[in-house]
Amino acid sequence: MSTREILTLQFGHYSNYVGAHFWNIQELGFDYTGTVKAECNHDILYREGQTANGEVTYTPRLLLADLKGSLKTLPTSGGLEEPRVEEDLPWHTVERVEEPTASKNEFLHDIDGENSSNINNKEYNFEQDVQTWTDYLYPRFHPRSVNVIKEYQHGNENESFDYNCSGREIWKSNFGDTFSDKIRKYVEECDSMQGFHVNFDCTDGFSGLALGCIEHLADEYNKVILAFPIIASYFSDNNPSTEDEREKANIKDSVRLVNVALSIEELSQHSALFVPLCTGEKGWRKPGAPRAFDYINYKPEQYYHSSALLASAIDTLSHKYRHKANVHTMSDICADMTGYGRKMAAASFGMPVALKESEYLIDYLNTISKPLYKSITPSCKIATDKIFQLITVRGIPESYLKAPMKEAKDQMKLAAYRCSNVKEMFELYFQANNFLSATNVTVSEKPLDLKTPFPNIFSDCLNKYGFVKDDTVVQKVESCPVIAGFHNGNFMSDVIEKLHRDVSRIKFAKLHKFREQGLEEADYRECLDRLSEFKDNYEDDFEL
Amino acid sequence: MSAISLLNPKAEFARAAQALAVNMSAAKGIQDVMKTNLGPKGTMKMLVSGAGDIKITKDGNVLLHEMQIQHPTASLIARASTAQDDATGDGTTSTVLLIGELLKQADIYISEGLHPRILTEGYDVARNKALEILETMKVPIEIKRENLLDVARTSLKTKVHPSLADVLTAACVDAVLAIRTPDKHVDLHMVELMEMQHKTATETTLIKGLVMDHGARHPDMPKRVENAYILTCNVSLEYEKTEVNSGFFYKSAEDREKLIAAERDFIDQRVKKIIALKKKLCDGTNKTFVVINQKGVDPLSLDAFAKEGIIALRRAKRRNMERLALACGGTAMNSVDDLSEEHLGYAGLVYEHILGEDKYTFVEECKNPQSVTILIKGPNKHTLTQIKDAVRDGLRAINNAIEDKCLVPGAGAFEIKANIELQKYKDSVKGKSRLGIQAYAEALLVIPKTLAVNSGYDAQDTIVKLQEESRLSPDPIGLDLSTGEAIKPADLGIYDNYIVKKQILNSCSVIASNLLLVDEIMRAGMSSLKG
Ligand SMILES: Nc1ncnc2c1ncn2[C@@H]1O[C@H](COP(=O)(O)OP(=O)(O)OP(=O)(O)O)[C@@H](O)[C@H]1O
Ligand SMILES: [Mg+2]
Repeated sequence: MSTREILTLQFGHYSNYVGAHFWNIQELGFDYTGTVKAECNHDILYREGQTANGEVTYTPRLLLADLKGSLKTLPTSGGLEEPRVEEDLPWHTVERVEEPTASKNEFLHDIDGENSSNINNKEYNFEQDVQTWTDYLYPRFHPRSVNVIKEYQHGNENESFDYNCSGREIWKSNFGDTFSDKIRKYVEECDSMQGFHVNFDCTDGFSGLALGCIEHLADEYNKVILAFPIIASYFSDNNPSTEDEREKANIKDSVRLVNVALSIEELSQHSALFVPLCTGEKGWRKPGAPRAFDYINYKPEQYYHSSALLASAIDTLSHKYRHKANVHTMSDICADMTGYGRKMAAASFGMPVALKESEYLIDYLNTISKPLYKSITPSCKIATDKIFQLITVRGIPESYLKAPMKEAKDQMKLAAYRCSNVKEMFELYFQANNFLSATNVTVSEKPLDLKTPFPNIFSDCLNKYGFVKDDTVVQKVESCPVIAGFHNGNFMSDVIEKLHRDVSRIKFAKLHKFREQGLEEADYRECLDRLSEFKDNYEDDFEL
Repeated sequence: MSAISLLNPKAEFARAAQALAVNMSAAKGIQDVMKTNLGPKGTMKMLVSGAGDIKITKDGNVLLHEMQIQHPTASLIARASTAQDDATGDGTTSTVLLIGELLKQADIYISEGLHPRILTEGYDVARNKALEILETMKVPIEIKRENLLDVARTSLKTKVHPSLADVLTAACVDAVLAIRTPDKHVDLHMVELMEMQHKTATETTLIKGLVMDHGARHPDMPKRVENAYILTCNVSLEYEKTEVNSGFFYKSAEDREKLIAAERDFIDQRVKKIIALKKKLCDGTNKTFVVINQKGVDPLSLDAFAKEGIIALRRAKRRNMERLALACGGTAMNSVDDLSEEHLGYAGLVYEHILGEDKYTFVEECKNPQSVTILIKGPNKHTLTQIKDAVRDGLRAINNAIEDKCLVPGAGAFEIKANIELQKYKDSVKGKSRLGIQAYAEALLVIPKTLAVNSGYDAQDTIVKLQEESRLSPDPIGLDLSTGEAIKPADLGIYDNYIVKKQILNSCSVIASNLLLVDEIMRAGMSSLKG
């Protein structure tokens, strides 16, 4: 079977943070020595091409959008071909208007220069240096990939891109035409495309832009659309100190919440499956407290940190339909997760899967008393019973499975001892722990590689391979085992319920900008009604 | 400011004056950036971003989109001016200049104590009179090639080098004439603009047919065919999973394979129908067959077509469905059931051109093409973009002329004439509002003045020269940029669009007035931009 290509679309600043990590993970995982057997078929996410000079390129099959002023050092041409500034212009008077050259941080300097192989042995101060997602971006992009919205300036408070409707407008403009033509060109190249990944910021104007695009995709292509509406881990107005600030923050929260609700409702119409993501517990009205992961310390104010978690999750989740074995495709995933019109599902993530370095998986699973993963879907508690779930586990060596017979002792008493591989053991684990549920487990041999510029957010208790150390010798964590899953079931009705309740409390009339930009109150109310109807899909008990 | 001063009418006045001053300086700022652009001798701007992105332009509209405008007044002016471009495709630079100048002229009177309201009333009267004068200067045209060439060339020479402008002028006019049917509105979308990297921009050409930015995806398909039937369709020829609940929880791999086979058969049937028609029409003749599909064509289907010598293209632009039908004849098909010869189009030549990773397919030698392509060539991305912008402007200028059925002499002729007429008219008006008319008449001169300055001539000298000449001549008088002397623009074929001038007059006085009546500035300014 040929490659089942995926086209990835990224809309919005935070989604691009996530994307930067995601593509870093892909590209830093490439093996150029020809000695390592890759588990995933890279051609699913990447395309081979050629520059104008005939050099062969291998770039993400990607289109991304961000605002003017957000790219800093990344040229809109994607950086593969150096733009030539010297030029013979056939015109009498030419006036050059040059912005000061954007300065590159140490990391970007190093990957440009000869030291590029050295980056893993060097300490960088990313927490300080990273001002935008291009500050730690390793790959170069195809000239088609980068799309800048010129109408809005990144970080401009006067005219910020805060409203769903503003994004809709942009989609209807020239921008949308150009963007959809680029989609077409990518799709035309694919022989056997499986679908679209759409990651977007669902709290601001990018929600409208993404939904405009998703509607177009649904209309034009008969392909699966898997969407991740994303909420950033933190907003600068989250901790107001004065009354004035509090009031402003309140309005901002309301606007964001309305954007989220509009996004969710529209996704329920046009996407095949969608999974809201946020590293904060609540997501709306505010991101809320950061989800805690054992052995990980991350700061929600650092997009560079939190987005790495989401990128690792998306990477792991997508292994299911990126394996070379080609057993599953996105359409399988979507069909199986979305019975009864339940197009919204939750995602979970566990990093690291915290086995002790001297421990067997069988003992770990036997003694652990809490779930292996945390929800990364906002305001969502993943139920243990009556659920459908697709789990991917990576990086647990088969040698960790169980003790050999002679040393097995008590392990022999466990039913799990009969399992002959990691996959079977996890399957048994989920069977035992999730009542009336169906679980499909995929196992990837290789762990998640944590190469620079992946943030250094790991506890000192982990060893080089991300297992919990028995001793205290400090080691740099280079990889770690990860688990991630898609989950669906009636528990999701709570998520929608909460969203609906929160958003219904907002006095829409007060958010006059929405109306100014073309969203009538009546249409908005209808949208909320449809959201509530969508929730009904989750109400009935279903039988397995 | 303390509460008491709020009640003081003098303070009120001072505040208004302050706000006015802010508006003035914002308008002046944006005017200063734009004024060097005006006319064929304006400066070309090369914008280099911090990351090295290059943008080359002389177009006011493009520049306004690139600029970072923070000041609300400036952004109001910018939006008025881009609205001008949306409506007519031209005149953005003039709009910014005229708004700025209307404010500047007003400032002189206001600083002498005149109330802004009086001035804006005068502007209103003057605008109406100027529109009347514009009517008298209309030059009716017949829709013929030579008449359209002038207006296209005038427009294009303000955007690209003269040698390229000549090439583009012919291409644009011939394109519009090809797709036009008398007495119907022209749909400029039926002129496809296709970009191709190539050393020299002057090799930009008009293709009397369609150029597509993709090619056949099968190595065995012919690269060139003649005498071709063209099937344009929107029918999926790729296997796509359609079942709603495939399930990998329950179904075995075999079940899945069976499902796939059944689906596949469905697609094969469609491919067979197309091949059957091809065999019927082409086998044993010198005719060939090309399939251009808006939907996908998968490798197995491509294989089947390749074996029959059929060229098949997938994922054609939606708009190309319509364009192909107009260029080649035939109908865009949504199904291949009951397919027959009458549904097909014809092209004398179809061939592929490969450039790096880009493929192009040319569909040429069409019988009576009502959709055509301007193939834009340029050495790099930013040149291509610059030319494309220019071509768009050129096409719109031609189309405006066709819609208006008339032109207006350019090179400052209208502004000079209107200035003189308004001065005369002013004397017939009683009261202070004549001051507004005077200011308006003066402001119009910013266009010829700037044209003169941009060519290196003295503004005042030029105006005096043109006014004198204009008083003597029954014909409109403009400025010859290469000599600095007065000329009849008609003699040099310098013509502008009537609708563009009309729009400029209308929008500039509204915006300028709003900015003058500072109390109402933002609200009034905003609403006048909508609609
Ligand atoms: N060959 C020429 N000689 C003298 N004046 C000319 C000539 N060609 C054009 N003009 C004048 O130049 C002006 C148009 O300049 P230009 O196209 O640069 O600006 P614009 O139309 O106001 O804005 P935009 O940037 O949107 O095109 C018109 O007033 C026109 O009459
Ligand atoms: Mg112009």
